[in-house]
Amino acid sequence: MKIPVTLQLAALAVAMTSFYMMVGQAVPQKEVQPPEVIDLPEDLTTDQMVAIGKTIFEGKGICVTCHTIGKSGALRFPDLAGVAERAKTRIPGYTALDYFAETLYEPNKYVVAGFNPGMPTINKPPVGLTDQEILAVIAYLESLGGTPTVTMDTKHAYNGGTLGGGGGVDAAPAAEAPAVGD
Amino acid sequence: MKQKPPVWLIGAAGVALVLFLWGAVQLAIVGDRKLAFRSPMATTAEPSMPHDQALVDQAEARHQEEQNRPYEEAEYRKFPVVGSRVAVWVVAQLHLLFAAFVLAVPIFAFIIELIGAVTGDKRYDALAYEFVKLLSASFSFTAALGAGLTFLLIALYPKFTNYLMSVFSPTFLPYVLLFFAEAGFLYTYSYGWGKLPRWLHLSLGFMLNVVGTGIMFIANAWLTFMSTPAGVNEKGALISTWEAVHNYTWMPINVHRMIANVAYGGSIAAAYAAYQFLKAKTDEERAHYDWMGYIGNFVAIAGLLPLPFAGYWLAKEIYAFSQTMGLTMMGGAFSWLFIIQAVLIGNLFLFANWYLWLGMGRISGAERFRPAIKYLLIVITLCFGVWATPRSIMSTVEEVQAMGGGTHPILGYLGVMSAKNTAVNILILTTYISFLLYRRSGRRPVVSWARQGNMAQFAIFALAAATVIFFGIYGYFVDASTRIGFSVPQVGSVLGAMILVTILDIFLLRGAETTETRWGKIHPLSQYLLIMLAVTFTWTMGLMGYVRSGLRQHWHVYGVLRDTSVDAFTPTLGFATKVVSVTVLIFFLLIGFIFFLASLSGKKHDEEAS
Repeated sequence: MKIPVTLQLAALAVAMTSFYMMVGQAVPQKEVQPPEVIDLPEDLTTDQMVAIGKTIFEGKGICVTCHTIGKSGALRFPDLAGVAERAKTRIPGYTALDYFAETLYEPNKYVVAGFNPGMPTINKPPVGLTDQEILAVIAYLESLGGTPTVTMDTKHAYNGGTLGGGGGVDAAPAAEAPAVGD
Repeated sequence: MKQKPPVWLIGAAGVALVLFLWGAVQLAIVGDRKLAFRSPMATTAEPSMPHDQALVDQAEARHQEEQNRPYEEAEYRKFPVVGSRVAVWVVAQLHLLFAAFVLAVPIFAFIIELIGAVTGDKRYDALAYEFVKLLSASFSFTAALGAGLTFLLIALYPKFTNYLMSVFSPTFLPYVLLFFAEAGFLYTYSYGWGKLPRWLHLSLGFMLNVVGTGIMFIANAWLTFMSTPAGVNEKGALISTWEAVHNYTWMPINVHRMIANVAYGGSIAAAYAAYQFLKAKTDEERAHYDWMGYIGNFVAIAGLLPLPFAGYWLAKEIYAFSQTMGLTMMGGAFSWLFIIQAVLIGNLFLFANWYLWLGMGRISGAERFRPAIKYLLIVITLCFGVWATPRSIMSTVEEVQAMGGGTHPILGYLGVMSAKNTAVNILILTTYISFLLYRRSGRRPVVSWARQGNMAQFAIFALAAATVIFFGIYGYFVDASTRIGFSVPQVGSVLGAMILVTILDIFLLRGAETTETRWGKIHPLSQYLLIMLAVTFTWTMGLMGYVRSGLRQHWHVYGVLRDTSVDAFTPTLGFATKVVSVTVLIFFLLIGFIFFLASLSGKKHDEEAS
């Protein structure tokens, strides 16, 4: 029995489509939920801030889309393992807090040598972290190779404080300081 | 003799009538109870039971509530069963597929008609008209789906649609005017075939393309603004409509879509020819549709070859707009989508090459190139393999330990861009060689410098391939910013080789000895390949439409207007591919109907003539 051409072609279209759909089922499946509002009570301890900061770093802050921790080689963006130690000395006159704050609020003001600018401003959409959430992220970054010191009351140049306000290091005025990044 | 209806039918009709009347009475009673507070009988009579009183009170309360309710603008409304996102997704994709076809066919119909007018070969004119016959019904489907999409957006996403209107309202009037002009030019071009002076008809075809391109550019501004907004402040207020139009991805999408539409339109037209070829009763019909399929496929491949380069530009602009968005696309949630895309593009190249190789069977003298095919196949398969190799895979802890990391110690190297850029460039070069061999099958150069010319062509190919491979390997030893720049010499060498070899070939084949091409004498498998190409093209467009839109993730307008609906999450690739598959099948059902309509046109005339 000869199968009508129209039927043959319909079967072929269904078979091809089904094959591609099966390829789609074979790859890893991940449903990405929109970021949730994170409740940050004012009496959080620094350790609690580190834990929450890590959650934000890996989720809502989408930091891990670009940054790695503990990888080497030809990286597209700086690896953040031990960044707390580097942050203290990256720019003369800047504390680690100043450095982290500027890199999150004005990320392209300073770019680490060997890398291209491209980090989004973290307190603005699409990431849009609040000042409190950014403090928690800074706490987490300080824990990468250092001892975190920030609290929910910590002030820096972008939340009503000044340069050197939170790190205990005498800082140069912002206008004289070199630009920061990473 | 007239037959009486059977007794059982009369009985059934009687029962149905009784049931209908009973149902109508019941409905009236229920309706009267529900509206009791309005019924004169109910308002004059005192409710006799607490239940009746309660009904009256409830109705009163509801009435009061309705009267006092303030006007509130809805943010979202729900579409039944499948939800709002899927409904808009399917209709938008169907609209886009038809629009791509409707915009593409006039481009090559105009070019083919022009070739016919210049050469005086009537076959080209007939072929161009055959393509245009597919347009009328497709245009109506495109418009209907576009209207459907607009209504769905207004009904289901009113706040978002209002926002887009606030930004783009100055573009609406030009869009509508261009749409009217498109309809006018299209129908005059189609119905005026053979009835208008040639220059006038060609001018209409040209204007049809100009207007169609204008429409696409305006619509592209709306959708690219959603992904890479510009011309608005941080709060979303409009600063400049022109800047909103001329956002980061507008021009790359315009160019990418124009090329992709041509490739896609060619493939659908070739599928139509394949369908007619397989149904053909005579050798003459087979010859005609074989030729039509060849031209359609030629157009499709001609569009396919530069498409990855346009894709590079688009991706580059996405990175320029937002590194985060770029990395989400290539290294984040959507990275696996590009493995699926690799399978699709690999198949497109494989089917296109296979069709060309089978096509050599209809040309006398093509036998001399047959031994080369197996090498081309090996190269294509290797490139396909590299392109489809993922950088990392979902692994168990034991597997990760065995591999010494998340990536395979050897295959992991094939998952990075250096390898993939190399693979796709060699794939393009190989397909071009297949095309060149096909072109050479029926011709033998007779110019005095033929041997040197052939050697020069070979040297150009070898140099281009060596350049691509050199930068591919070198990319493993340099930093990211340098490596990204390597795609320029890779792409440049391939494009340059194709242009140089084509120019050389034109001069080489001047006055060449030609052999007969036996149109219609081709293996039927080739026609199924044309159908497979069309399905794969359509599926690829569906998938890439998803990634372009999905990249916004939980934003209607990226970074400006957030999606707060129940559909704000990004679905799994498995779900997305199911929606794409259903859309593709609906599209083929509809385009099959259009093929059927096109095959009907002219039938009456043929019957009368016979």
